[in-house]
This record gives sequence, C-alpha cells and structure tokens, in this order.
Amino acid sequence: MEIKEFLQHLVNGISLGSLYALLAIGYTLVYGILRLINFAHGDIFMISTYAGFYLMSSAILPWWIAFLLAIILTCILGILVEKAAYRPLRDAPRISLLISSIGMSYLIENLAIVFFGGRPKTFPIPAIFDRIITIGSVKIPTLSFIIPVITIIILAILLHIVHNTKTGMAMRAVSTDYEAARLMAIDVNKIITFTFAVGSTLAAVGGIMWGMKYPSLIPLMGVMPGIKCFIAAVVGGIGNIRGAVLGGFILGLGEIMLVAFMPALSGYRDAFAFILLIFILLAKPTGLMGKNLAEKV
Amino acid sequence: MAILKTENITMKFGGITAVSDFTMELEKNKIIGLIGPNGAGKTTAFNVITGVYKPTSGHIFYNKENITGIKPHNITKLGIARTFQNIRLFKELSVLENVLIANHLRLKSNPFSAVVNTPNYVRQEKHMIEKSLALLEEVDLIDVKDEKSFSLPYGYQRRLEIARALATEPKVLLLDEPAAGMNPQESNQLMEFIIKIRDKFDLSIFMIEHHMQVVMGVCEKIYVLDHGITIAQGTPHEIQNNPRVIEAYLGVE
Amino acid sequence: MKKKKIILSLIAIILFFSLLFILNSVFNSHQTRILRLCGIYVVLALSLNLINGFTGQFSLGTAGFMAIGAYTSAILTMPPAQKASAYYLEPIVPWLADIEMSFLPALIIAGLISALIGFIVAAPVLRLRDDYLAIATLGFSEIIRVVITNLQNITNGSLGLKGLPNYTNVWWSWGVAVVCIIFMALLINSSYGRALKAIREDEIAAEAMGINLFRNKLFAFTVSSFMAGVGGALLGHLMGTIDPLMFRFTLTYNILLIVVVGGIGSITGSVISGVIVTVAMEALRIVDGNIDLGFMVIKGIPGMRMVIFSILLMVIILFFRRGIMGTNEFSWKWILESKLFKKRKEVA
Ligand SMILES: Nc1ncnc2c1ncn2[C@@H]1O[C@H](COP(=O)(O)OP(=O)(O)O)[C@@H](O)[C@H]1O
Ligand SMILES: [Mg+2]
Repeated sequence: MEIKEFLQHLVNGISLGSLYALLAIGYTLVYGILRLINFAHGDIFMISTYAGFYLMSSAILPWWIAFLLAIILTCILGILVEKAAYRPLRDAPRISLLISSIGMSYLIENLAIVFFGGRPKTFPIPAIFDRIITIGSVKIPTLSFIIPVITIIILAILLHIVHNTKTGMAMRAVSTDYEAARLMAIDVNKIITFTFAVGSTLAAVGGIMWGMKYPSLIPLMGVMPGIKCFIAAVVGGIGNIRGAVLGGFILGLGEIMLVAFMPALSGYRDAFAFILLIFILLAKPTGLMGKNLAEKV
Repeated sequence: MAILKTENITMKFGGITAVSDFTMELEKNKIIGLIGPNGAGKTTAFNVITGVYKPTSGHIFYNKENITGIKPHNITKLGIARTFQNIRLFKELSVLENVLIANHLRLKSNPFSAVVNTPNYVRQEKHMIEKSLALLEEVDLIDVKDEKSFSLPYGYQRRLEIARALATEPKVLLLDEPAAGMNPQESNQLMEFIIKIRDKFDLSIFMIEHHMQVVMGVCEKIYVLDHGITIAQGTPHEIQNNPRVIEAYLGVE
Repeated sequence: MKKKKIILSLIAIILFFSLLFILNSVFNSHQTRILRLCGIYVVLALSLNLINGFTGQFSLGTAGFMAIGAYTSAILTMPPAQKASAYYLEPIVPWLADIEMSFLPALIIAGLISALIGFIVAAPVLRLRDDYLAIATLGFSEIIRVVITNLQNITNGSLGLKGLPNYTNVWWSWGVAVVCIIFMALLINSSYGRALKAIREDEIAAEAMGINLFRNKLFAFTVSSFMAGVGGALLGHLMGTIDPLMFRFTLTYNILLIVVVGGIGSITGSVISGVIVTVAMEALRIVDGNIDLGFMVIKGIPGMRMVIFSILLMVIILFFRRGIMGTNEFSWKWILESKLFKKRKEVA
C-alpha cells in the first residue's frame, strides 16, 4: 500500500473514530449513572440526522441555525426518553429497565419508519463543508479535518464541565455511589436529566457530522453505530469519558484499517466490534481505562 | 484437629486492604466467633473462605486440603456452607423450594433423566423432598413451606437461611450475623438453636456476630478484627478484658 | 393425584389436537397460516423464556439461532436440482449439493447445529452479566447474519433461498410446540429447573448452595439455542423463502415482546401470549394497508403496526410489569381446587 493511500485511510479512520467517540460518551455517561445500556441512544442519534435533514431541506434557515435547532430538538428528545421510559422504573429490577430501553429504541425506529419512510434520504451538505483539500497528491475532504477538531473542542468542554463545575462534580458523585449521593442531598433526578441532555447533545453533534460524511439516511441507521459505540465505551472502560473516546478511536481506526489491509474481510466489517468486545471482556473485563471493582457480597 | 484453617489470608480491593494476614483455626465440633466494628473485614473473610473472592495472598485449608481459589460451588460441595449478612434467599420461590435447591448439589442424575422421570431420578427427588420437609420441621418452618420466601417475617427469613445452608449437608457452617435485628429474647433462642444444630448435624461453626451476649454465650474462641487486622484472639473472658478490644470495638458501641 | 394429573393432561392434549383438526378444516389458507405461525412463535417464546425468564440471563440472540436453523434445514431439504439453479452467483459446495433428506431429520439437525453453535458461543459470553450479555448475544446474532451473507457458496449469500419445501403444516408446527411445552414444564419443575430459577433469583446465593453457575447457564443456553433453531427451521418452511435480512435483531424484539406480554418466567404466559400476539400481529396488518369501509377509505400507514406493538411493549413494561401470568403457571391442582369445581362437587 502506498503511503498516500495509507494517509487517506488514516484520516478516514480518525474521523470515523471521532464520530464513534461522540456517541460512545453518551453510553458511558448513562451507564455510569444508571447502570443501563440506553438502547435508544443510537436511535436518538438517528433522529438528529433526520432533524438536520428536514430543517436543511426546508431551505429557509441558514445551515448553522438548522444544525443548532436539530441539536436542541435531539437534546429535548433525549430528556423525554429518560422521563418517559426510565424514570418510572427507577426502583424496578434491572431487567425491566433494560427491556424498557429496548422498547423505546424499537418505538423510535418504528416511528421513524412511519414518518420518514423506509427509502434512503440524502443529507444536504452545506457548501462550506463540501470541499476537498489537496496536500501534495493526497486529496482529503475538509470534513475529515473538521470532524476531529470539533470532537476535540467538545471533549475539552465536557471534561471541563465534569471536573470543574458543581453539576459535573455531582454527576461524578452519583456515578461513584448512587445511594450516598442521594443521601448527600444531591438531586439525583436533576443530574440524570442533565446526563441525558449532555449525551443526546453529543449524539446530535455526531449525528449531523455523520450525515455530512455518510449522507444516506435510513430509519435503522442508528442501530449499528449505537451498538458499536456501546462496545467502544466498554472497551475503553465503562463510566470513563476518556476511555469512551479511546474506545471510539480504536474501533473507528480498526474498522477502516481492517477493510484497507484485508479487503477480503470487508464483508465482516461489522463483526470486528463484537470480536473486539469478546476479547476485551475476557482479557480485561473492566476495559482499558476502567477501575477494577468486584461485586460486593 | 482443625477442620478449617486459614493461613495469613489477605484481601485487597484496589487500594483498600479489607483483610490482612488473617490466620484462624476451627476445631471440629467447636463454635468460634469473629467480631469487630463495621467495615472491619469480617464478611470479606467469609467471602474469601467460601471462594467468592480469591485472596490476594494466603491459604485456606479444609481437613488439611488446600482449598484456596476453588470455586464457591465446589467449596459448598466439599462441606462448607454459609449464610449471608444481608439475607439472600431466592425471593420469588417458596420456602420448600429454597431448601430443595440446596439439595441439588447432591443429586446424581442429569437433566434428561429428570425430564423423562427415570426411576432413579424419581427416587432421588422423593428423597430430597422428604429430607427437606424433615429439615423444615426441625427449624419450625413447616407451616410456611408453600409461602414465597420474601413474604416471611424477618426472623423466619434468617432461620430459612440457616435451614438452606444445612440442606447442603455441611460439616462447617459459617454464619454471618445471624442475630442481626433480633431482640435479646430472640437472640437467646437463636443461641440455643445454634448449639442444637451443632450437636444434631455434627457441625463446626464459625460465626460473625455483633450481639456480645450471643458471642460470649456460645463461642469458645473469638477472633477480633479491626480495619482488617487481627487485634486479638482468645476465650470470651480474655477478649472481654483485652484493652485493645475495648478501645477498638466495645468502646464504640 | 399424580396419575390423575397425567390423565387430565393426556385428555387435554387429545382435545387440543381435535380442535386443531377442526380449525384446520374450517379455516381458509390465510387463517391456517396464522394458526401455523402461532405454534412457531410459541416455540420461539419458550426458547427465549428459558434463558431470559427462567435462568435470568438476558440473551438477545434468538434471531441468529433461528437463522442457523432455517438455513440448515433449507439446505438439507431442497432438491439438488433446485439448489443448482438457486445458487447462480456461485455454485453450492459439492458436499452439500446432493443432500436431500426428509423434514424430521432435517429439523433435528437444524436444532443440533444451532445448539452446537450456541454451546460454542456460550463459553465466552456467559461470563458476562445483564446488559453486557445482552449486547454480546445481540452482537453474535448479527455476526451470524454477516457470516451467512458472506458464505456465498453455502448459503447463497444475500440472495437468500427460495422455494423451500412447504413442510410446516399445522401438525408440524403445533406438534413441535406441544413437545416443547411438555419438555419445558417437566424441566422447570425438576431439580434442574429449580437450579435455573435459583440462578435467576440470586447468582451468589445459588453458587453458595453448590450450584455450578456456568454449567447450568450453558445448559439453558444450549437448549434455548436448540429450540430457536427448530423454530427458525419451521418458520423457513412456512415462509418458503429465507434471506439474511429476515433474521435481524428486530425479530428477536418481537419474540421478546411475546415473552414480556405473557410474563417473564411463565410457560403458560408464553403460550397464551404467543397465540394472542401472533394473531394480533396478523390482524393488525390492516392498519398498514388501506381500510375500505364502503363509504370511505381510511388510508393505511405502512409500518403503523409495528409502532402499535412497540407502544404495547412499553405500556406492559411500564405499567403491567408482570404481564399476563407473572411467574405463575397453569396447573391442574389450581383448576381442581378452584371454587367453581368445589361447588359442583358439593352439588354432586
Ligand atoms: N467487593 C468489594 N469491593 C471493594 N471494597 C470492598 C468489597 N467488599 C468489601 N469491601 C470493603 O472492605 C471493607 C470490609 O468490608 P466487610 O468485610 O463487609 O466488613 P464487615 O463485614 O466487617 O462489616 C469495607 O471497607 C468494604 O467497603
Ligand atoms: Mg459484614
């Protein structure tokens, strides 16, 4: 393989990894607090791309207002999902919560099929994102630069919030010990709402960038990235934001490189994540950056 | 002869050392105690002995056999049974089923014989039921045998935990705070009950208990843990008069 | 009492098959198709309930194991000439090209291969709990689909297989369902069934009672895979056409819906709900198409049916968590001791 080709794959892998990272953070935050896989997270991501699509297609709004609105709508959806499907089950067995999350995911998917139709839609890309830079003989779309940069900026903001603000510290407290946090008069419900808002916002930012990079939208488009990003979060160490980012990059780069170096296996691209999951869970069940915690008896 | 023995067991969780260098010996047919303030590492010691956690270092011997690192179900099979401090019954199942489940480990059959009801299986199942009913009779739970276990009053649940442990046919019984939540009168009854089962089932008993009255009443030897460290061991009398114990444990009560 | 129960059960089974015979002769082909589907979904619901409801291991792999069963049975029963024409992109591997067997052995082999793969998959994934297990099994189910799509010279890839022999009549579908019901009832009430339930209730306590967690979970998972494989095979021979897209995870969700509606951990619930949900799914097909009321036509909305079902799943889990039966079961004792019966005895 030529160096030029390799560079192209590398850039591709990094931007896919960034998108995975954004989505994985949502899983890791929610799991950290509720010990729940939010199965609907991938579908919330899907909704953001459709929201972007419809707002852009209306062709009245400038692109950045359309994107901003799409992100806000998605954020609200995330909060509503938590209120409707998870809050009433706070004291229920975990399995009920899990089923509720599967049900919510299924509901959003089916609603999307009804309202958006099963036929693929093409995401309209604003002209300023649709350029190609040529460095030497390597051609790289601007998007491939923009995606990682935006991801890094968002990540910096998020880490700042989590480590330096009161809300962020409360989040970490709830995630470390739910009961103790409740006793310390932290409004756990408020923190959970906030967590879903943050997770959904990141998913929406990722979703819109995803729409520009892979412009074909279908109602089930959130499922595979969703599952993969949960895996990314587990690989990095569930509950750990930096871990989720690391996991996202490993997965994104791994997938792209697998296809690049072993084209014969390209059909098995979607299997890569699951095999990685099994290996990680067998070798280091707490993930690469997770803490080692045995269940208390 | 010691039926159960630990040699310098240490258990670390990340940065915390829950138990450090714990060495104990349980003689056959004796009842001994383990005391210490909350968070001292008592339950952790039980968890290590029963294989729930593999110790960071140290060894556990049962009848001279090294059982360190053996899986919990195999340890139970060897003859060490336990109860849990925070009651872990099979909640949705009946009292009788709870005890029957504890008989399962002695069943010599396979699922397919069970499904087609081979005579061998039917005979063993019948034996299990008879044995369980007799045991429930023994612990005075026969009247509630068909109740779901979570619906029992607290004291009954504690007794069912013990009955369930007995059903595994143990030689050594580990009791984790069996008198928790009981009033003095109930604790006294429990004391008699523990001595009774020891004699009837030929047991050696190692118990964690907070009620000094119970520990002092039935235990011949007591170990005292504080912050994972064994600060004293000896007869109830010796322990009662040990200044370190008074400071660490009795003092705070 | 025990003899009496066996006799009552036998009578019930005979009555049930007589009823099937009558229904089978009065129903039109569309209706018998639904009847056959019901039997299949009962099998599938029992499969999922065994691992999720009785053993408490949240697995979402059913669709994958169904795919294995359906493909195995399809390849084993399709006539060689038909295979030769179906595999036009790449011919089928020689060792499978000339096989043609009857339905029963094909069905059993379908179950066995599915069970074997379940057994192999189980070893790594059963170390996981709850959500992790759910994701890992869902993942495996999707991997199975990816593999099937890529094994062009064995499965015909994404083209799928058409014209499977139409074996799944009412007798096959319900015959298998009744065998599964009886098997499950006997298993669950045996000491091994109690061990599974103990694991569901509290793994740590079960282990402390001497129950080998891994071996019991492995057993439940393997049997569940067997049943899913057989169910998948039955479904294939009812549809007549199979392709990898048919076995997406959403199929597992539908079966999960049946289990949840019936009651997680109830055989009776799975049977009742398997029938109700299947009939409802078919009946509600009308909301997907136009409804002609004579004087006006209500425009159908494609996909609305599944929206209704996902709402149903949410409503059940949020407000009626125990479903129809909870963990309760139908029993003769309960019938015989019910008030209605007692009164009659007094009169007599
Ligand atoms: N699985 C575990 N992970 C981390 N820490 C644990 C675990 N189990 C026990 N500990 C810690 O070990 C210490 C001893 O706990 P425990 O043995 O339950 O005390 P005791 O039974 O004497 O009250 C406590 O600080 C507890 O938090
Ligand atoms: Mg304790």
